[in-house]
Amino acid sequence: MLQTLTTDFRTPRAAPSALNTAPSQRYYVYLLAPAILLLAAISLYPFFWLIYMSLHQVSMSPNQPDVWVGLANYAKLLSDKRYLEGWRLLVVYSVSCMILQVGLGLLLALVLNNSRWEKPLVTVFLMPMMMAPVIAGLVWFYLYNGTFGWYNWVLQSLGILSGTSILGSTSTAMIGIVVVDTWQWTPLITLIVLAGLKRVPQDQLEAHMVDGAGAVRNFFAIVLPNLYPFLLIAVLLRFMDNFRFIDAILRLTGGGPANSTKVLPVYLFEVSFTNFNLGYGAAIAFTLLVVTIVIGMVLVSAFTQPSLQQKH
Amino acid sequence: MTKVVVSEVWKMYGKVPAVRDLSFSCESGEFLCVLGPSGCGKSSTLRMLAGLEHISAGEITFDGKRINELPPKDRDIAMVFENYALYPHKTVGDNMANALKLRGMPAAEIKTRVDRAAAMLQIGHLLDRRPMELSGGQKQRVAIGRAIVRSPKVFLFDEPIGHLDAKLRGHMRGELKRLQRELATTTIYVTHDQLEALSMADRIAVMNEGVLQQIGTPQDIYNHPANEWVASFVGEPPMNFLDAEVVTTGSETDLEVRCGALRVRLSDAHRHRLEGVRGGMRLGIRPEALQVAGAAPGADWTAGTIYAVEPLGGDTLVEVAFQGGRVLAKTGADFRGEMDAPIFVTVDSTKLHLFDASNGRALT
Ligand SMILES: Nc1ncnc2c1ncn2[C@@H]1O[C@H](COP(=O)(O)OP(=O)(O)OP(=O)(O)O)[C@@H](O)[C@H]1O
Ligand SMILES: [Mg+2]
Repeated sequence: MLQTLTTDFRTPRAAPSALNTAPSQRYYVYLLAPAILLLAAISLYPFFWLIYMSLHQVSMSPNQPDVWVGLANYAKLLSDKRYLEGWRLLVVYSVSCMILQVGLGLLLALVLNNSRWEKPLVTVFLMPMMMAPVIAGLVWFYLYNGTFGWYNWVLQSLGILSGTSILGSTSTAMIGIVVVDTWQWTPLITLIVLAGLKRVPQDQLEAHMVDGAGAVRNFFAIVLPNLYPFLLIAVLLRFMDNFRFIDAILRLTGGGPANSTKVLPVYLFEVSFTNFNLGYGAAIAFTLLVVTIVIGMVLVSAFTQPSLQQKH
Repeated sequence: MTKVVVSEVWKMYGKVPAVRDLSFSCESGEFLCVLGPSGCGKSSTLRMLAGLEHISAGEITFDGKRINELPPKDRDIAMVFENYALYPHKTVGDNMANALKLRGMPAAEIKTRVDRAAAMLQIGHLLDRRPMELSGGQKQRVAIGRAIVRSPKVFLFDEPIGHLDAKLRGHMRGELKRLQRELATTTIYVTHDQLEALSMADRIAVMNEGVLQQIGTPQDIYNHPANEWVASFVGEPPMNFLDAEVVTTGSETDLEVRCGALRVRLSDAHRHRLEGVRGGMRLGIRPEALQVAGAAPGADWTAGTIYAVEPLGGDTLVEVAFQGGRVLAKTGADFRGEMDAPIFVTVDSTKLHLFDASNGRALT
């Protein structure tokens, strides 16, 4: 074996106890401060206003003051069957959407990636995404329609659906709204995953093939780990949207029939803007917000895990 | 023990040919170097052998079996990639063990193999690190380790030691050569470093612009280059090339090669090479075929002046300018001389290389 032939003519002294400090970054903080303060004011003000409302019985008349009720609004939540059912439906709704969209999006991206028709097909697939959710809801409302809706006709002809319409039955309405969300947002996942697939290091794939791996092993050992950050972004975006955007649901079912699609945000909408029970609505909104933030933070922290970081 | 045959292989990237009509064979257990400058199609050739690149035309066989359509995993090859291609999330040890694990080798056997390779490559202390935490040379050694832990049919090396420092490179040349002889595994080794090729290979295939120029033993390539291009690419310091003329002095068989003041009388053994050739041709002289002296010891010496002196420690390179040209000569370390001082130079006429001026082909 070759030895490193360093003659010991100068033994280094012990490392100095005080190391030079890296240049200060404080300068940037000062520059950013005004923007951060403005942003904080804009987004913090409504946040505190929400908390304030949730602790009061909010009056709808300028002459009557709001009445302090303490945590009464929150206490009421626990015994509110609709509220708890809203959570359950929200979980069912967003988890089904997520699984379907990520699964389909991944599959579509893998099929499209490097295919000859990638560019034109992606353009076509993106169209649902360009549509305003309310419009999507309206389009599907007609497609689902019990009398002249195309889907209804197809499914009834096939004998899958008997007399009822898709959105009119408590057993299928949830499926109906999940399908619409999936139709509209799978393209987004496909787009994100396609971007991720372009970043999968070819050299690692090649090394792995030479090491003796086939296509399936390659996918799980090299492609998928490299896609995780992209899938995380997709999941984060979709999950936040499902917790907040209910335009399509309002248009399609409005929470019905028999509350079978009354996911929490729909219930919140009803409490606050149909019944104008603003204090109670604020309490619901606050719990929804807290859960959204916590799940969001968990997902974001997953990005910063060292095992997910790609350094090239 | 696998014999690799490449026949009439082309590689086109779109309309651009990277490898043109390449044919060679690598005997079972042979160490074949593919030598050529950057961009000559070496990696493309290797990647076609590995199954990573589609073969545009022609056929490659392992032991007579066509492998064009075989995916890489079924070719049983081990490859060292030019850009290392290590798995960033795996430790050095796991990088090296990956192929063995994929083949379901028992853990104890894997460990012995990895440890043995790591010891040879002097990376035993790095096994728990991740590639990100390694220097370029260390990464390259891990990449070699990943190949040599296996017992494949064929080793494919793509410039595996190009990024090591000179000393370690010298060490690795010896180790790899020894390892290959011990394992007797068919090896195709790509390099642009002629010293590597000359020192390690059983045979060398020299390529330029996608075309095979010559294939032969290192001695063949060095002593009998097939054309001017091979002669200029192989050898360090490079061969001197001069435009020269063949003239008859006295009788018809008395030949002399002339370039300005430099005159070389051809020995009997070389005379037949110039049969029919008269007038312009290219003369190639390796620096070690030249001798220099401060005073003219005889009649065959040409007078010139010292253009530059480059002491290299063990040898000295002297660039001599004479009327009509300039040549680089290699001489002993004890050479002393000032710039522009007079000097005399002579050529060992048995070591001349003669090339056709029109197409660069060697006259043999
Ligand atoms: N994927 C590709 N697409 C298009 N052209 C390519 C591609 N890969 C290589 N080439 C071209 O083919 C030629 C040969 O490339 P190759 O990588 O085989 O060279 P090389 O001999 O390995 O060079 P080096 O010593 O620099 O690695 C080059 O001219 C290169 O530009
Ligand atoms: Mg190369």
